[in-house]
Amino acid sequence: MSSDRSGTDVSDEQLLTLFAGYGVDHDTAAHLRGRLTRQLLVNQCASCGHWHHPPRPVCPECWSFEVTARPVAGTGTIHLAVFLHQGPPAPGVDYSTPYPLVTVELDEQPGLRFSATVVGSANEDIAIGRRVRLDWIERDDVPVPVFRLEDAA
Amino acid sequence: MITSRNPLRDRVAIAGAATTGFVAANTARSQASLAAEACIKVLRECGLGAEDVDGICGSAPSAPHVQAMLGIPEVTWFANPAIPFVNHLAAAVSAVASGLCETVLAYHAAYRLPWNTGSAWKDPFRRDSGVGPKPLNRQPDSVAGSVGYTAWASRYLHEFGTPREHFGYVAVNDRTNAAANPAAALRTPLTMEDYLGARMVRWPLCLYDMDIAVDGADAFIITTAERARDLPNPPVLVDAVALGMTDKNDEDQAPGLEAHGQQVTVRALKAKSDFWIEDCDVYFPYDGFTIITLNWIENAGWCGRGEAGDFLKQHWDAASNRVLIDGRIPINPHGGSLSEGGTQGSGHLREAVHQLQGLAGERQVADAQRAIVTAGGFFFNAQGVTLHRG
Repeated sequence: MSSDRSGTDVSDEQLLTLFAGYGVDHDTAAHLRGRLTRQLLVNQCASCGHWHHPPRPVCPECWSFEVTARPVAGTGTIHLAVFLHQGPPAPGVDYSTPYPLVTVELDEQPGLRFSATVVGSANEDIAIGRRVRLDWIERDDVPVPVFRLEDAA
Repeated sequence: MITSRNPLRDRVAIAGAATTGFVAANTARSQASLAAEACIKVLRECGLGAEDVDGICGSAPSAPHVQAMLGIPEVTWFANPAIPFVNHLAAAVSAVASGLCETVLAYHAAYRLPWNTGSAWKDPFRRDSGVGPKPLNRQPDSVAGSVGYTAWASRYLHEFGTPREHFGYVAVNDRTNAAANPAAALRTPLTMEDYLGARMVRWPLCLYDMDIAVDGADAFIITTAERARDLPNPPVLVDAVALGMTDKNDEDQAPGLEAHGQQVTVRALKAKSDFWIEDCDVYFPYDGFTIITLNWIENAGWCGRGEAGDFLKQHWDAASNRVLIDGRIPINPHGGSLSEGGTQGSGHLREAVHQLQGLAGERQVADAQRAIVTAGGFFFNAQGVTLHRG
């Protein structure tokens, strides 16, 4: 059912319910709507082209308010890597195998980073410097962005 | 930008500091009760009554709550800053220096909160409590808050190839120091073997890399230097204060370990202060996570980047099983956040005051004249103060 849900058809009230706890507001809504159609949207400035994340209402480089949530390629390099032996409860997350959480430097711009888990690889293979690409899983009927190692089997 | 302007220097004093002491267990008390005990204690030690206070500063309970609770008749200034505690000190010092008020009662109640210990969740009367904004994003894919420090600890190990023992020196030093502090929550000795064998919480940081959730409170009297000289204990003069921050202050967007709030704090303090580490008698780097302490030691200039662990090893005093820089300067002699208790910096400031007043008991550094407190972490909470005996 959730795969039929178009991000644009979801009302503001529904968005708030689907992303309870994410801090849904006028600045973050476009990014979160993008997730519903499995698109990773990051704010880019229409005036100077600078990307920034998390979403803010104004470009930090040129102060233009013409910022738009736009798709990124989803490729990048692991910059930070932690493995959670405990953490907030979430469906399908079992900390008995430490849960990998990485911050990825996206290819669009130096210093532009997005944090998510890694699926499809053993923890010992997940390390700073590894190349990754974006994928999606479902959690609570909502798509969640994840990364896969680029050269994973 | 950073300027050397510092008109507040030596005009404001910390006239007293007091604590309830800390326990790593749920007390059957409210946060307000703990704050009240510390506030009353510091007022009595300074020979002051409720009518002598005209400013109040603390996070939780709020300043209005504390004023009503203690029957402080009138104030002309109050504030409820976010943690860590140098935020409170900065606000209070500014208020006194500018004349918005003359004598501030500043307090911080550390409280075991339901989201940092499972046992605290079992006390229903704690569920609405806090010492700051509640974590917004309780899902496992967020690097906000505590996870962010762990993430940058992974980067530290990656960049410098340091062994985990380097984090362990911070933990063992704190625990040894806490043994001499009756106010500390954890006073049983900790060995490096204990550290390396401890349960991993978020790799690469383990149980002993994280501050300990406690119940307890500290309170301070901050007033003019003139007024403080008429009070019973030696005044501690505020030399310089800085709250350093950069624009890339989201945990995962910080450019690197070489460019966050700590570097700004240090540069600002050095620009404003009369002294720095070469003239300091006791040093208080924050230790909410051990990675923070290693970074402060490097950023303060005690050693180069990636060298803090080797520095601690080199200055380790085997006889006392703790760090004594150049054989004389202790680091967090009260036991810090890891062993006295997670006080969000109030414990560090309180011990600095007591050291400079000569009131630190068996922990007293002989003839301590100058102290540096560098509180908080990396992103939006790096801050520091330089203090000297009046």
